[in-house]
Amino acid sequence: MRRFDTTKARVFLGNWRTVLRFPYSVPSIDLQRSSNPLLACFLMILAATRTHLPRNLAVSGWLATSGMLAVICLATGCGRSELGYKPNSLHAASLTREGTDQNPISIAKKASEVVETWFGNIDQPKWPTDQVGLADQVLRMDCVERCAGPVGRGIDKVERGLFRKHCVSCHGLSGDGLGPAAMLLEPYPRDFRRGTFKFKSTPVGKKPTREDIHRTLHDGIPGTAMPSFRALDESEEFAKDVEDLVHYVRFLAIRGEVERRLISLHVREGVELESNSQRMQEVLVQVVQKWADSPDDVLVIPETPDYFQTPSDDSDHAQRIEKGKTLFESELTACVKCHGPTGAGDGKSQDFDEWTKDWTILAGIDPKHPKDWKEMKPFGALKPVLSKPRNFHWGAYHGGKSPSEIFKRIVLGIEGTPMPPVARAHNGNPGLTDQEIWDLVYYVMHLEDR
Amino acid sequence: MNSESKFNFVKLWAWMSAAFIFPLIWVGGLVTTHDAGMAVPDWPGTYGYNLFLYPLSTWLYGPFDLLIEHGHRLLGSWVGFLVILLCIWAWNTESRGWYRWACLGLLGAVIAQGLLGGFRVVLDQRTIAMIHGCGGPMVFAYASFLAFAASSDWNRARPTLKANGLWRLSWVLFGATVTQLILGAQLRHALPYTTPVGFMSMVHLHLTFAGIVTLAVLGVFYLVRRPEYQTETKLRSPANALAALLLIQLALGVGTWMVNYALPWSETMPSLARYVIAAKGYWESMLVTAHQATGSLLIACSTWLLCRVGKRQSTLTSSRNSFTIPNAVDSMASEPTGAIRILETVE
Repeated sequence: MRRFDTTKARVFLGNWRTVLRFPYSVPSIDLQRSSNPLLACFLMILAATRTHLPRNLAVSGWLATSGMLAVICLATGCGRSELGYKPNSLHAASLTREGTDQNPISIAKKASEVVETWFGNIDQPKWPTDQVGLADQVLRMDCVERCAGPVGRGIDKVERGLFRKHCVSCHGLSGDGLGPAAMLLEPYPRDFRRGTFKFKSTPVGKKPTREDIHRTLHDGIPGTAMPSFRALDESEEFAKDVEDLVHYVRFLAIRGEVERRLISLHVREGVELESNSQRMQEVLVQVVQKWADSPDDVLVIPETPDYFQTPSDDSDHAQRIEKGKTLFESELTACVKCHGPTGAGDGKSQDFDEWTKDWTILAGIDPKHPKDWKEMKPFGALKPVLSKPRNFHWGAYHGGKSPSEIFKRIVLGIEGTPMPPVARAHNGNPGLTDQEIWDLVYYVMHLEDR
Repeated sequence: MNSESKFNFVKLWAWMSAAFIFPLIWVGGLVTTHDAGMAVPDWPGTYGYNLFLYPLSTWLYGPFDLLIEHGHRLLGSWVGFLVILLCIWAWNTESRGWYRWACLGLLGAVIAQGLLGGFRVVLDQRTIAMIHGCGGPMVFAYASFLAFAASSDWNRARPTLKANGLWRLSWVLFGATVTQLILGAQLRHALPYTTPVGFMSMVHLHLTFAGIVTLAVLGVFYLVRRPEYQTETKLRSPANALAALLLIQLALGVGTWMVNYALPWSETMPSLARYVIAAKGYWESMLVTAHQATGSLLIACSTWLLCRVGKRQSTLTSSRNSFTIPNAVDSMASEPTGAIRILETVE
């Protein structure tokens, strides 16, 4: 049996007491601004243990905390990365890949700086009022400000940092779809910076309305990591949160699209990246104007026929199915190419979405080649994945399950994906009549559970 | 040793401390799940009030994140109070010197946890939240160890086991569960600027360690039924508890993945294809929190197994072995002077 050597222990404690005397000035350090939170924490523990706790207690507490800090430091690293909107170097890299020797990183950084002078930084977003009005038509800055910054309640008990609380783990701080969990998800989280949204009530090339984004947040997307915020939306306490998030998503999309177009303008036309440049400001106005116009572009959906609500007799039902099936298999709609002859999503045509093509095909990279795409990996590219056509047998429609939503997907297509809009007979133009489209909707919905 | 005729308050406070640290971990887990760490922006007070004087109605009927964050703080204070009681009773009645110091160490650890929680708020740092989240289960394991060391089995167990296999495997299991906890905390407290590659690597490590923990638990379950351990039936309880917890934990792990990220093979089954994740849903939050809390229970059960095996391990009586501490200090404690007298002599 070995006794605990207390003499040595006393020397040990004595040495630590000398150390503990050191940081009298610690409380005066601006801890909130400390570049290393762990160091600040360490110093505060020293100060607290030295001044407020009995010796033995101080040492045991200090040792326990230091041990934990050491373990986590080893696992995570101690430094604090600067938070900010990430420059869009992937877009710059895809544009500069061929026929130019420009450095994509520095271009992206410069563009990001210009955008920051207009839209503010990650904690304090702002609207470029001097350059463009229209803020009231596009978004509400009080909502945007509430969603930005770190998560938490202020002393006024108002919760802030909603985007970091609910969205950042997938969509990333900049809305670039590169949040920590992005690689695990299928499909990948959406990159808002392209200004392209899939499920909306406006035609291809037009921006979604606030209601469109709200609907995706409210309903979620089945079978994917996009959750439904229905519980928040329907609670008295958090109902405003979802509406505020809609505004922030629009803000990120506008900011991101302006940034992309500035990079394109610089690479393709050699326009200098400066916030007071006339051409740059024109780009800003064009992007904002498109978002302001979105409510005028909404597709008016004819009223859903009654037979979707109440079952009709067998002969009508069979007739509609037959009509829908004929349209489904026709060359005019070409549904079979992707969704397969039975609607099981096993068609022959396979393609990538526009987010992927943006930095692959447009940059001269074959996304199907297992190694080529890795050239873009350092700029944040994720492995290209083919767009999956819906399997109608499961009734899991990403854009909404109601007949009117399916009508919209057929007429408007799904922007950014291989799903095109069908030609609609309108003002003398050839195409499907509304009745035919409803027949197609009827047939598609009938495929569920078959 | 304690007189068996008297009620053992040390045992009571040790068990109470461990028993209340578990709900503390659960509520702390809820705080993380709901990202409510900054629901109260000041510390040690709550919205300018003294922690204990914050109006009950505003707390109970206020926002949910404030309810759980302030509740976590109050529960933490209650645990601190219990550990203080444990220390007072241990220093007055406990004859084992190492146990008294260990109780003091627990108090230090609880205070350190409280300070970390406070710094997380004052500095608004998620990294500190991660450290705080890792520290909680370690404190729980520590408190559980003190509770096991105060139990009757600790006193009655005799060193009869000659085989070393289970003892070694128990340490492997303990190490693996702790590592798994740290990896899980990295995922739970992922920082906004964590890269997708970094996060993915952490997920792979977490899954790898899940495999290691599973193998270690299966190994323990098998070993305690081997002839060389068959006589020690007391070893079966922790082994069975570990096996049961493992099954629950694996199911909770799959569930946690599903309610956070949806399953990667969702396109294979209609029910999965139609499943919509509910953001901050009640059951979803509970499931994710339960996964984290069960991880803490696995660490505590590994500690339980270590205690039971260690006290029966005859090979540990060798003076060269570093794991003689519990048995050795027990015999040291039989002398009335103990550590205090030695300290007084040095003074």
